[in-house]
Amino acid sequence: MFESVEDVQKRLGEQSYICDKNIATVVFLAGRLEKPVLVEGPAGVGKTELAKAVAKATGRHLIRLQCYEGLDEAKALYEWEYSKQLLYTQILKEKLSEVMAGATSLREAADRVGQEDSVFFSSRFIVPRPLLAAITADEPNLLLVDEVDKSDPEFEAFLLEVLSDFQVSVPEIGTFAARQKPLVFLTSNDAREMSDALKRRCLHLYIDFPSQELETRILETKVPGVGQRLAEDLVGVMQRLRKLDLKKTPSISETLDWARALLALNGTSLDESLVRDTLNVILKYEGDIKKAHGELGRLIARKAEDEAGKAAAAGAPAPAKKASLH
Amino acid sequence: MQRKILEFTNLLRKSGVRVSVAEAIDTFVALDEVSVGDREVFRDALRTTMVKRGDDIPTFDHLFDLYWSAFYDGLRDAFDKAAQSGTDGKGAPIDVEALMRQLRDQLEGMQGSVDLSELAKALLTQDLSRLEQLIRDAAQQSGVGRIENMLQVGFFTRRTMEQMDAEGAGRQLRELAQKLREGGMPDAQVDALMELIERYLEALRQSVRQFTERELQQRNFDYMEKFRRESLLEKSFYNLTEDEIRQMREVVTRLAHRIKNILSIRKRRLKKGKLDLHTMLRRNMAHGGVPFEVVYKQRKKDRPKLVILCDVSSSVANVSRFMLQFVYQLQECFHKIRSFVFVSELGEVTQLFKDLDVNQAIEKALDGGDVINVYTRSNFGHAFHLFWRDYLAAVDDKTTVLVLGDARNNYNDAKAWCLREVHNKAKNVVWLNPESPSAWGFGDSVMDKYLPSVDVAEECRNLRQLSRIVDRLVL
Repeated sequence: MFESVEDVQKRLGEQSYICDKNIATVVFLAGRLEKPVLVEGPAGVGKTELAKAVAKATGRHLIRLQCYEGLDEAKALYEWEYSKQLLYTQILKEKLSEVMAGATSLREAADRVGQEDSVFFSSRFIVPRPLLAAITADEPNLLLVDEVDKSDPEFEAFLLEVLSDFQVSVPEIGTFAARQKPLVFLTSNDAREMSDALKRRCLHLYIDFPSQELETRILETKVPGVGQRLAEDLVGVMQRLRKLDLKKTPSISETLDWARALLALNGTSLDESLVRDTLNVILKYEGDIKKAHGELGRLIARKAEDEAGKAAAAGAPAPAKKASLH
Repeated sequence: MQRKILEFTNLLRKSGVRVSVAEAIDTFVALDEVSVGDREVFRDALRTTMVKRGDDIPTFDHLFDLYWSAFYDGLRDAFDKAAQSGTDGKGAPIDVEALMRQLRDQLEGMQGSVDLSELAKALLTQDLSRLEQLIRDAAQQSGVGRIENMLQVGFFTRRTMEQMDAEGAGRQLRELAQKLREGGMPDAQVDALMELIERYLEALRQSVRQFTERELQQRNFDYMEKFRRESLLEKSFYNLTEDEIRQMREVVTRLAHRIKNILSIRKRRLKKGKLDLHTMLRRNMAHGGVPFEVVYKQRKKDRPKLVILCDVSSSVANVSRFMLQFVYQLQECFHKIRSFVFVSELGEVTQLFKDLDVNQAIEKALDGGDVINVYTRSNFGHAFHLFWRDYLAAVDDKTTVLVLGDARNNYNDAKAWCLREVHNKAKNVVWLNPESPSAWGFGDSVMDKYLPSVDVAEECRNLRQLSRIVDRLVL
């Protein structure tokens, strides 16, 4: 699937997913060891995006299971198509009476119907849900179990069977084993801790907020219109914002949104009023915005300081734009 | 390599990172797939297979650095320095390379007549990885794993040196030099060699000491870490430093998450109702009575309501800071929650907590939240009376009333009947008192008067007690 760690980085890069070596190593190992990957980290750092990028890079079909509170087997594994079964019995009513014709006792009739059991409990009447679909597919695919922490603890139990043996048991029919082992990604926002049994079966990947340099690269890849200068300024402010004690720390997706918003507003450089006006793109809580407003001067002033420091270090005169920042 | 990884696994386990056998096996399989040469990749491979909790990553990183690099690098530094700083008797630096070349020639000439131990050979040829292995083995055999404090470093260093017979190796090397002199090697060179040997031996001793110290650090890391956490849990809410407050906040946040979990499971169980036969028949009339659509009874969700009364008088100042923090977290979990603070008067702070972030909210609440005067003497009776008069409507049969306070009433009228009235209306009343039960009812404490109207009364001064109570609170 992937040749080497560098190969992973390169091919994910082609899908415009820029990642560091840590992520690449885990993805590479997941392919080699045929083990699921549990991806954890704050919201918006690109956990789901990683799975999508891997699917694209390897040409696998992506099957996605979105978890939520109350998700059960019927939604995740398979479901009997109840109304179809019922419809068939209605249509086959006459045939059924034929089968039962001549039966002398109730028991005999029941036995005869019983012999036809397998007609109504066959794969014909099964609606495969994502987990079963991933197992039974002919083509190699990628199963993404998104936000697995939102599901209930019981749900983990039958995930276990799927993840460790790549098989699904349907009591009435038997066990479906995977023809092609799917590549599995589970993502979690750490809303609750997953059970040890589940974790043991997975490789673990923790994606944190990216470094300044990596984030700039991501920004330039994902939003091509943004100039290098604006990208650097933007990322600088974001990195400093993350150091504040905010209710919801903005992550990469917010950086990208912000860059797009600024482009739409034809902003070419960051100044205080522009930042003030667009702050609600990156901060989602009133309290956070208020706090950032208070710190705004510092956020941008420090940027100016950085620049001054950089300019001094480079021995060049401070850029003229600096004046407008104050 | 294999042994080193297993040892590292053990180290992780001791530091509280749970690494199962299956995971250790995964690690080996993973290492077959990646090149071990790249340090970063090597670390990531170990981390992804062994460490499964985000919280454990810092521990892993710390131990990884401690275990996988520092020593070899230290060893190299020590011997590099030894080789460079050596001077032949006249103060000129020794040309180690030339010396070694000469040595090799000479040794070939006297085949068989020299007998060197492995350590001596490793020293002479500067085979550092072999040297590292020898030190590791010897240290293991000398029982360095049992090291407990700084005072034992010298002792274990000596034992390790004895274990690998450093003295013997030194003697052999000196004899070798002597033999070389007899074999016709120029005196200056032999002197240089002797000098070098002494320096190597010293470097070896230093390295062993370093190894022992590092071992101590490793053993202590988990120990200190565990000790720190335990003591924090046991510590009373009084007298906390800034740093401890920060850590405590993290723990309370985790606790709140747990409550959320319990809530979600409860909700889910309630959602599955029984088959609703009546409605189902009626709705399926259109299909000739064939039940195509299955209808379940919808049960009403039982969302717990919470009313919190928190004492913020000066006698419980430090406790109430944390109680308020707990209240704040609770407010994020429960939808139907009202929070009040009191000293003598009573004031609602629900909105205040919603608007502000946790620190500001607590500061504000401790200050009376603009609604009450905190510079009076606490009067529980008066506060309960006000609650009964103004807010009794907030209490119904789904409401849990949570009182946080020490019930030190300054000899005022306890007005226990107010709490009794509240109790009659509420689902239950929970009282968390920072004082221990033996003090209840003594002095100006009127806890005993309130007890009949309280369903659960608990002593709660620290997190451990709090987390035990939490289960009861939700159920």
